[in-house]
Amino acid sequence: MSERAQAQAERAGMLGVIERLAGELALAEEPARFIAALESEEEVPSDA
Amino acid sequence: MREESLTAVAEAIRAGKLSPVEAVGLCLERVRKWDGRIRAFVTLDEEGALHSARVLEAEAAAGHWRGPLHGVPLGFKDLCHLQGLSTSCGTSIPGYFTSAQECTAARRLLEGGAVSLGKLNMTELALGAFGDNAHHGDADNPWRAGHAPGGSSSGSGAGVAAGFFAGAVGSDTGGSIRLPAACCGVVGLKPTYGRVSRAGAMVLSWSMDHLGPLAWTARDVALMLQVMAGGDAADATASRRAVPDYLATIDGGIKGVRVGLPENYFFQGVADEMTAGVRRAARQLEDLGAHVGEIRLPDPQHMTDVAMLIARAESSTLHARLLREQPEALQPTVRARLELGMGIPAYDYLQALRLRAKLTRAFMRDVFEEVDVLLTPVIPEPAPAWASLKGATVDEFNARSARFSRLTRPFNGYGIPALSVPCGFTATGLPLAFQAVGRPFDEGLLLRLGHAYQEAAGWHLRRPRL
Repeated sequence: MSERAQAQAERAGMLGVIERLAGELALAEEPARFIAALESEEEVPSDA
Repeated sequence: MREESLTAVAEAIRAGKLSPVEAVGLCLERVRKWDGRIRAFVTLDEEGALHSARVLEAEAAAGHWRGPLHGVPLGFKDLCHLQGLSTSCGTSIPGYFTSAQECTAARRLLEGGAVSLGKLNMTELALGAFGDNAHHGDADNPWRAGHAPGGSSSGSGAGVAAGFFAGAVGSDTGGSIRLPAACCGVVGLKPTYGRVSRAGAMVLSWSMDHLGPLAWTARDVALMLQVMAGGDAADATASRRAVPDYLATIDGGIKGVRVGLPENYFFQGVADEMTAGVRRAARQLEDLGAHVGEIRLPDPQHMTDVAMLIARAESSTLHARLLREQPEALQPTVRARLELGMGIPAYDYLQALRLRAKLTRAFMRDVFEEVDVLLTPVIPEPAPAWASLKGATVDEFNARSARFSRLTRPFNGYGIPALSVPCGFTATGLPLAFQAVGRPFDEGLLLRLGHAYQEAAGWHLRRPRL
């Protein structure tokens, strides 16, 4: 496999993982809740 | 000087047993003698260091002390912007990174009395786990010639271990403080996301970057963190939480602390000697009063994948101009990593950011209700020989680099603090290390655990023979 093909395969693998995991995300989920979780400003939600 | 920890150097200066000029002179002597082999420095600022030391010496003689690091020699990864010194970020372009203001973390250390010896070697653009650099030379491992010191903060780890300075600042996007700390047998801390300002330092990935200290002991690292940490108007992600007094609690012991050894992920594919070293350290922590048990974690591989994708997309975006205009200036391995990130759609990047929030909450809920600290290996194998890495193709090299950082990267994603502590040596004399991981902003407990372990185990008293 050429290096370019290898990179494309690696990228496709990464995107596949994200697509599979993202299927379980709640509509309310957003990036800012990461900081809120660290700063303990947010109760643990029931969407997991 | 070489035998002394940062704390001991600071105390000796304060007690008048060692002057700042003597401390800097001893370091420079070692650098002149050994940096041809170690290659810790990109820019050695001999003149600047001696000038600062003389000023600090005069101030001390007049009874004026700038802070707890008065006269202590430090080194800074060459992505920290400091006035008067160029910042290559490990590239072939001396002034690749410029900033309107100095690196806040470095500036705080210097205002606390530290002396800058200069700028330290690193993997190009901080992309890579081993410490290779085609432009400034591959840094070498002080414990065994011809072995990787770990990266990307290679000069920070190797320079502390070689006795070139008492402590160093590194950055960590996927393990770049903890990997060199583990490979070089020193302590390295990736603080909580936001604990230390990143203003004035090159950005690789704004979501994953952390700045932190490396030194011989957990106490040294606590002292540095005390000075570096805290809110900063120049960095919107820097937390405004008060900084605890880490040194006030560091001798408190670990009686009753719940320590969890992961059942899944972290001991898979790990070399036997490394596994044995970490498990031996767990037993010693138990002897010190900790409650050690096993724990099953929410699959960390998910966060590894999420963190990798976010870092790839952000680093490619940030350094796109260099990739587009001077691709030939980049090492092939670094170019390949940046090219990989260029093709990530916004849809997937944003989904990954949403996933990060969800996975972080789940991890904290499931793990830190059960334990106070997680104990894992830092690296899956001891520092590899350069010869075993250099014959690889670009893809093989990058794949091995990704495997080497698979135990550290999840905690960049979760944003929680992680401390690398040396815990012995292999039969061939290469350092072993464990990683202690805690709740957000609970660096104090990790440092207390690391300190208790070091006092009992004594590995930090050994020094490499250069």
